[in-house]
Amino acid sequence: MTARTHAAAHPSPAEEVRDGLPQWLLTTDHKRIGLLTVGTALFLFFFNGAVALTMRAQLAQPGQSILSPQAYLQFMTMHGTGMIAVTITPLALGLGVYLVPLQIGAPRIAAPRAALLGYWLYVAGAIALIWGFLTPDGAADGWWGYTPLSNTIYSPGPGESLWTAGVFLAGTGMLLQGGTTLWTLLRLRAPGVTMLRMPVFCWTQLVTCLMVAAAFPALLAADAIVALDRLQPSLFSGNFWNITYENMFWFYGHPVVYVMFFPFVGCVAESLSTFSGRRFFAYKGTVLSLLVFATGSMAVWGHHLFASGQEVNDYFSVTSIFLTIPAGVEYFGFLGTIVGGRLRYTTSMLFALAFIPQFLIGGLTGILVANPAIDYHVNNSYFILGHFHYTLFAGSVFGFFAGFYLWFPKATGIMLRERLGKLHFVLLVIGANTAFIPFFFLGYDGMPRWMASYPANAGFTTLSLISSIGAGIIGLAMMVFAYNLWISARVRVPAPDDPWHGYTLEWRTSSPPPPYNFDLAHPVPRVRGYAPLLDLREQARAAPEHRGER
Amino acid sequence: MPFQRAFHWLFAQDAIIAAVVFGLVVLVLTGSLLLSRRRRRRGQGPSNRTEANKLEISYVAALLGVAVFLMITSVIANSQDFPDPPEPALRVQVIAYQWCWRFHYEGQPVTVTGQCEGGPLPVLVLPVGRPVELDVTSTDVVHAFWVPHLRVKMNAYPGHTNSLTVTLSHAGRWIGRCAQLCGLYHYEMDFYVQAESPAAFGRFLRARGGTPAGVAR
Repeated sequence: MTARTHAAAHPSPAEEVRDGLPQWLLTTDHKRIGLLTVGTALFLFFFNGAVALTMRAQLAQPGQSILSPQAYLQFMTMHGTGMIAVTITPLALGLGVYLVPLQIGAPRIAAPRAALLGYWLYVAGAIALIWGFLTPDGAADGWWGYTPLSNTIYSPGPGESLWTAGVFLAGTGMLLQGGTTLWTLLRLRAPGVTMLRMPVFCWTQLVTCLMVAAAFPALLAADAIVALDRLQPSLFSGNFWNITYENMFWFYGHPVVYVMFFPFVGCVAESLSTFSGRRFFAYKGTVLSLLVFATGSMAVWGHHLFASGQEVNDYFSVTSIFLTIPAGVEYFGFLGTIVGGRLRYTTSMLFALAFIPQFLIGGLTGILVANPAIDYHVNNSYFILGHFHYTLFAGSVFGFFAGFYLWFPKATGIMLRERLGKLHFVLLVIGANTAFIPFFFLGYDGMPRWMASYPANAGFTTLSLISSIGAGIIGLAMMVFAYNLWISARVRVPAPDDPWHGYTLEWRTSSPPPPYNFDLAHPVPRVRGYAPLLDLREQARAAPEHRGER
Repeated sequence: MPFQRAFHWLFAQDAIIAAVVFGLVVLVLTGSLLLSRRRRRRGQGPSNRTEANKLEISYVAALLGVAVFLMITSVIANSQDFPDPPEPALRVQVIAYQWCWRFHYEGQPVTVTGQCEGGPLPVLVLPVGRPVELDVTSTDVVHAFWVPHLRVKMNAYPGHTNSLTVTLSHAGRWIGRCAQLCGLYHYEMDFYVQAESPAAFGRFLRARGGTPAGVAR
């Protein structure tokens, strides 16, 4: 992305799009907004990962004081809020901002300035959050921000206020980006791209944006409660407000875990389909299951409150277990695709394949904890940490890398090193499972979350140490990933337009795509299905004299 | 002890189902890798088939059956944890505060506490074989009363009381912990539950909580 010095010599309209920093920061090109969002989130992934490694160092042995209790809780709050509000959510939605217009043959995103404002609000939120983290008594009450712990009586100091502002700003930004992607999907599809001809990734984005629209306002309202409570702690005193806050928070807090999941299901689906050499299997069933899943996701928040004594536990248990059905249908699509495939084991495909069993561990333990009678024991223990690190890390992050290795050549015009990619993959599989399997046993054995330290006689030492070693291996894997990015950018292997023989429209345009995605040299072809390029290839093979699209 | 019993049968049941499902998925995954290898060896291309509607419908029906079974067992287990209890003979108020616990035996001039932060832990002494209602509340922020051995947890809210009934089957002493982030010393907010024979429990009440008021960690 160096500045083009010859731009002035060729004053054609396309050349006026220069690559200076202001042009990037004030861009209305969805690709740049998407890259800014994903790039910022990736940087914060490293930052929040380093925060997590520090916590694992503290917990590697009992009674350590690498971090004071206050510092530990600040690190834990930064890791949780940071990963959820300003890392994985923006990765999920940023991928949509980048890819959705390309995949539906649109020249731009709907309301690009709103998407750009969304990015800047997100950046402002991330800055506020980190600023609060760096204050001496920063936010130290986890990503839930439960009242009354988050009010000025129990959390004095500006850190908690900055936390609230940060979460609010980032949440607003993501709401704007989700809204623009949704509007794009509904209104800007190229001729021929009907709803049921959209790639699976676009469908996962559509249901994600629906959940963003339905759930994120509850976060903003909940943050407003925390903010008002900090201005005047007597305003919301009493159990009613505490339990209201908890319900409102989880009304956002559960759908958001699917916001951090579905786009990566889309990545996995596209990767599995491309590298199996066939269309995604059971497309319509998958689309239907995504819609059912998103609808159901709005009715399960109470399973986070089984131990509150103030929730209708049976109802939320039944709705939560119901989600087994759409989740099972998605697995039907994954497995059906690879069963009939002739597989190519690229780095992207390896991440997509590993997603299948690893996310399943998160999903199946999710069914366990959807039972109140089980949750009364494992709720708020390391068992829950194991469950959601399997969904979010061993699942979503693996899905993200499946997408990242798949689309990086398209977005940058540079190929990544496959060997380094595979080393990254192997280390990440070893690291993730070593780090997170012990969590299930620690939780079962009675280790609560949020412990800044633990006594030597508690019996948590061995498993904690194993987990910390696993975290170190994850750190090593991410170093390999960073080196891969660096060396690939330094010693460039140019990417062809379609390095993987892809099926969706983005592979028909150049790498990276031109300003308005498709141009005279790369027109939008005729779309007759959800794998339009495969349709064209089959057509060309069947009737060689009518080569190309008419 | 309802919580323990319901936890154990339900956890075992669901863990077995989960293990079977995991095994099946890994089997299909491995099978697909082998099928792909065979295709490559024989020079065959990938399958063109894009759906298997009959199979998918049967599969969804099977999933629905499993889900309904899981829903029913979930509700049954939950009802075992919170039965319509007989009027318990003993009620104990469990009061959480930053960062320790206070146990008040209702109708008795007995209150037990301790110093969690490195000092002697408070001990909740209970009689064996007799239902005890625990009324869990808090004086400041949200805490959670958790006795891992008993497989039970209940949040403690300020301005609200949550009740649960436990019956301890045998004498012993088990660690209890706070399971809701409640500030700086959340990680040291531990206590003990100690089950005593009715006679020993009577002696404890008569001694007004003098012994054992706190036991060194």
